[in-house]
Parts: sequence; structure tokens; C-alpha cells
Amino acid sequence: MRHRLILRNITQTFEDGGMHRTVLDHLNLQVAEGELVAVMGPSGSGKSTFLSIAGALLEPTGGDVLLDGESIIGKEKQELADMRLHKLGFIFQSANLIPYLKVEEQLLLIAKLGGMDNSRASGRARGLLHKLGLSQRLSAYPEKLSGGERQRVAIGRALMMDPAVLLADEPTASLDASRGMDVVQMLACEAREMGKCVVMVTHDERVLTLCDRVLYLKNGRLTENG
Amino acid sequence: MYLAIREMRFAKVRYSLIAAIMLLVAFLVLFVSGLAKGLAYDNAASIQNRQATHFIMEKDSNARFTRSLVGEQVSERASTIVGEENVQPLGVKMTTVTAEGTAAKLDVTVLAVRPEGWLMPAVTEGAVIDSQSEGQAIVDDKLKDSGVGLGTVIVDQASGLKWEVAGFVSDESFSHSPAVFISGRDWQQLQASAAVRPGGVEEAEAGSNSTNYNAIAVKGDTDQARQLAAALPDAEVVTKTAAVSAIPGYKEEQGSLLMMIVFLFVISAVVLMVFFYVITIQKSSQLGILKAIGTRTVYLAKSVTLQVLFLSAGSLMISVLLVQAVEALLPSGMPFRLPASTLALTCGSFIVMSLIGSLLSVWKVIRVDPLDAIGRSAL
Ligand SMILES: Nc1ncnc2c1ncn2[C@@H]1O[C@H](COP(=O)(O)OP(=O)(O)OP(=O)(O)O)[C@@H](O)[C@H]1O
Ligand SMILES: [Mg+2]
Repeated sequence: MRHRLILRNITQTFEDGGMHRTVLDHLNLQVAEGELVAVMGPSGSGKSTFLSIAGALLEPTGGDVLLDGESIIGKEKQELADMRLHKLGFIFQSANLIPYLKVEEQLLLIAKLGGMDNSRASGRARGLLHKLGLSQRLSAYPEKLSGGERQRVAIGRALMMDPAVLLADEPTASLDASRGMDVVQMLACEAREMGKCVVMVTHDERVLTLCDRVLYLKNGRLTENG
Repeated sequence: MYLAIREMRFAKVRYSLIAAIMLLVAFLVLFVSGLAKGLAYDNAASIQNRQATHFIMEKDSNARFTRSLVGEQVSERASTIVGEENVQPLGVKMTTVTAEGTAAKLDVTVLAVRPEGWLMPAVTEGAVIDSQSEGQAIVDDKLKDSGVGLGTVIVDQASGLKWEVAGFVSDESFSHSPAVFISGRDWQQLQASAAVRPGGVEEAEAGSNSTNYNAIAVKGDTDQARQLAAALPDAEVVTKTAAVSAIPGYKEEQGSLLMMIVFLFVISAVVLMVFFYVITIQKSSQLGILKAIGTRTVYLAKSVTLQVLFLSAGSLMISVLLVQAVEALLPSGMPFRLPASTLALTCGSFIVMSLIGSLLSVWKVIRVDPLDAIGRSAL
């Protein structure tokens, strides 16, 4: 079994008014392809910090992050941006689509940034949006979409470059129960079918049944039971 | 490119409004530039157009033609340094004339030159004059508007001297009055008559034994100018630029117009800066998202710069067309000139100023942290 995301001995300390606060303390995590992992924990336990490090947005104080075997440590900002573009897909709490791009363009932008050629890009975007049930809304602006539709577009956007890892920060927070289930269902499905690994931070107990593993962030470490 | 265009397409109203403001400012910049250039030309064309590099004037004349008097001997001394062919005497006298048969008084500037020399402009209509001709003048074609034609006799009010219009030149004026070119012979008479009137016998005699001019025009390099200054301690050697800006009113006119132009440039930069800065701040969380999903900062910075460029270039293009339309509609007497060089310079400066105005936004774009995208419940 291949591990597409590996976090090794991650330590993160923040300096706060002269005091060192260790938020993550020798955290270890390996996520295999096809796996959907849920991360839970009380507010302030460091879930977002953990996700930022896994997502190459924040360089940890100590430890190593491997994406498809490639380390993110000591890389230039531009290289990190390129890694995020090609190897990672982000799904944020609220969809955070670009307001002036139509649904299809949200995906095409990513293809453009990734240097995918136009015909392939538009084929892939349409395919993804069809699978997500958005074929009817290709040229709608985000303001015209429902919360669930927006989150599905965000999933499509995250999948556009066929990344190794999907990271989701409370993707169901702004959705009602059944729509939340739909979205997580899609993530689980994507992980299994495409051999991706998905890490999802969530407060939503209802969706846990769809996850392969549920981890709890406690005292700066991830444990199997809460 | 992809983002820049789509964002403007989405917020059409917002960007059109700012484009409209830019258009008005750009139009004003171009119009005032044209006016400044036109006034400069109207004021100084007859000095500007001369091929001279320097003018030798009397000491303490402050580079003003009308205050200076120089005699033959200066001209001779100058000839020994720069060569006879590079020296020409120039007489300048602002006066009032009437066209014979009409009552209207016309302010003109009489310029005395050697008709065969290089100070004489090319005649566009009528005949040339030579140094033997007497009582003949070549005048600026703006005088046509006042009913002066070929063969019209114009009478100098002060001296009563009469000159017949032999030909026309175009775009020749001094201190906003049309130029009248006469030969050295007529100048001598004009000088003599002027000296007789108020001063009496002594001055009349002084005037008759040698002709005084206002300046000696020379063609030479800076080195020769230095030699001239050394050889002529009682004279001052003035560059053409200095002589032009010493024309009464020239500096003041150009100074205030230049100030307006500079202010308009600054206004355009500030307007763009504020507009784009506010927009960039508004969308900083969105920029964080874009960076988080892998957009390079350079791409986003380019995107903002491109929008600024697009707006300023677009509004500039329309205002150039507008200004050219207005130029065509302006009455011919209006001093307005927008040669390609001025147009290019103004447009270039406008673009540069707007790019300067975009710097603040670019700086803001660079500073947005992609980390903000995670863990914030933005919007
Ligand atoms: N840049 C920073 N500087 C200082 N302290 C920080 C910084 N970022 C996060 N922290 C602290 O680290 C701790 C973990 O924050 P984090 O945002 O990861 O929590 P969380 O688990 O995501 O909480 P929530 O469930 O409320 O989103 C918090 O106590 C926070 O104050
Ligand atoms: Mg959080």
C-alpha cells in the first residue's frame, strides 16, 4: 500500500508574547491511497495548524512532510505554490470560489495555472462537473449557486489537477445535514476510485460513518480514540 | 490575463466608472499639453525656428532681445571666432502697424534679418526679398486674417515707415504677435527714425554712423560659445533655450501650464492608486485562497498591473481620439499644437504614472498570506 501523505515528527511552536506554545508535538500521520481520514478535536487544539502544515502553507518548526514522497521542507515560495497546485487539493470551510468566475471557469483557471492544454482542460472540467451533478450550471456565477452546489464546485476545483492529497477544513460546516453527507460521500468516493488520500478536519459527528479512520488531535498528537 | 479580464467583465460598472475618470483626466492632460505647446509656439516660434545655437546680446540685457543693443564690431569679432558664414545680425522690435486703407491696428514684431542669410525663413507664398530691396516685407500668414494680402502696404505707427507685403511665411511669431521680416536697409531707417524722435541730434548721429542690431545670432558649439564670451567681455552669449524663455511671458505661461500638467499626472496616479488599493484590500481573502490553491504571487501581481495598464491605455486611446476631434474643431487662431512627439511623451508619462499608482496594490498582493485561507471563516 502506497502512502501518498506522510507527516513525520511534526512539531509546531508559536511564540506568544515571549512564551513558547507547542501546538503540535511530534505528530505522526501516514495516509494511504484511497483512504479518507477524519480529524477531530476541540477548538484550539491545532487542527487548522496541522492542515496548514500538511498543505504546504506553513513550514513546521520541526519534522518533515512528504507528498508523494517529496519533502516540502526548505522549498522556495514559488516551488511550494507549484506543489500546492499539482499535488494538493484544498476544500475550505465555506467554498471560497472566485466570485467573478463562472462554474466552469473556476476549474479552467486551475488548468491554466497548471499549464494544461485547453481542449484537455475543458474536457476534464466538464467531466468532473458532470460527475458532481453540475452539468446544468456550467456558466453560473457562484453568487447564484446554493451552498451545496458551491461546495461541489470547490471539490471539482480541488480535483482538477488530479492531486495526490485532498485537504478539507470543515467542508460541511456551512451545509445542512443531508447536503453535508452528500459532500463527504463524494470525497470518500473520489478517494477510493482515484486512489487519492483525503484528510478532513470536521466537527460533524454524522459524517464519521463514511470515513475509513477517525483521529483525534490531543496534546499536539493524533490518536485513534477520543 | 485570465483573471484580470474576467474580473473586469464581472464588475463592468465599477471598472467603467474608473475608466471614465481616467478618460477625463487623460483628456485634460492632453488638452493642456497641447495648449502649452501651442502657446509656446505662438510665443517663441520666430526664435525657436531659427537655426542659431546662441545669441550674442548686450551685457545686462538678461537675455532679452528688446533690451539689448549690439553694434557691427561685435558681429565682426564673432566672425573671427566662428566664421563669417555662421554669424547673422538680428533686429527685433515690437511695434504697431496698420494696413494702408484700413483703420485696424495690428501688433507685430519686426524682425530684421539678412534676406539671403540663414535667419530668413522660407517664403510659402509670394516673392522673396533681397538685401537691395527697400520698403518690402515678408509677413506671417496670420496677418491674412486681418485683411493683409500680397501687395498690401503696412505702415509703422511710430515711424511712419511703409512696407509692401512681398510674401508670406507661416508659423512665425514673437511674443504672441505675428512676425514681419524686413531687410537690413529698412531696419537702418527704422532705427534712425526711432532715434531721432525722442533723443534729438546726438542720438540721431550715433544711429546713422553704424547700424545697431538687438542680437547677433551665431551657429557654433559650446566651446566656441565659451571663446565668444571670453572675447566679448561687454556682451553676453545666450543659448537659444535661454533666449526663448526670456521672451516676455514665456516662462510664466509655460510654468503655470506645466504645473497643471504635473498635477494632473499626480491626480491620475493617485486616483488609480486609491481605486485599486481599495479593490485589492476588499479581495485580500480571495487572493489568499488563490495563493493557497497554488497561484503564484507573480501571476496575481501581473494581473493587477495588467488591469491598471488596460484601464489607462484604454482611456488614453479614447482621449487621444477625443483631443484630435477637438483640435479639428478649434478655431484656427487658437494656439493649440499636439505634435506626435508631445503626444507620445504625454501618453508615455501617463502610463508610467498609472503604473506607479499600481505599485501599492502590487505590494498588497505580495503581502497577502495564503495561510489566511485556512481556519478562517471568511465571507
Ligand atoms: N500564527 C499564530 N501565532 C500564534 N498562535 C497561533 C497562530 N496560529 C495559531 N495559533 C494558536 O495555535 C492554536 C491552534 O490553533 P488552530 O487554528 O490550529 O486551532 P483549531 O483546532 O483549528 O481550532 P478551531 O476548531 O477553533 O478552528 C490556537 O491556540 C491558536 O491561538
Ligand atoms: Mg480551525
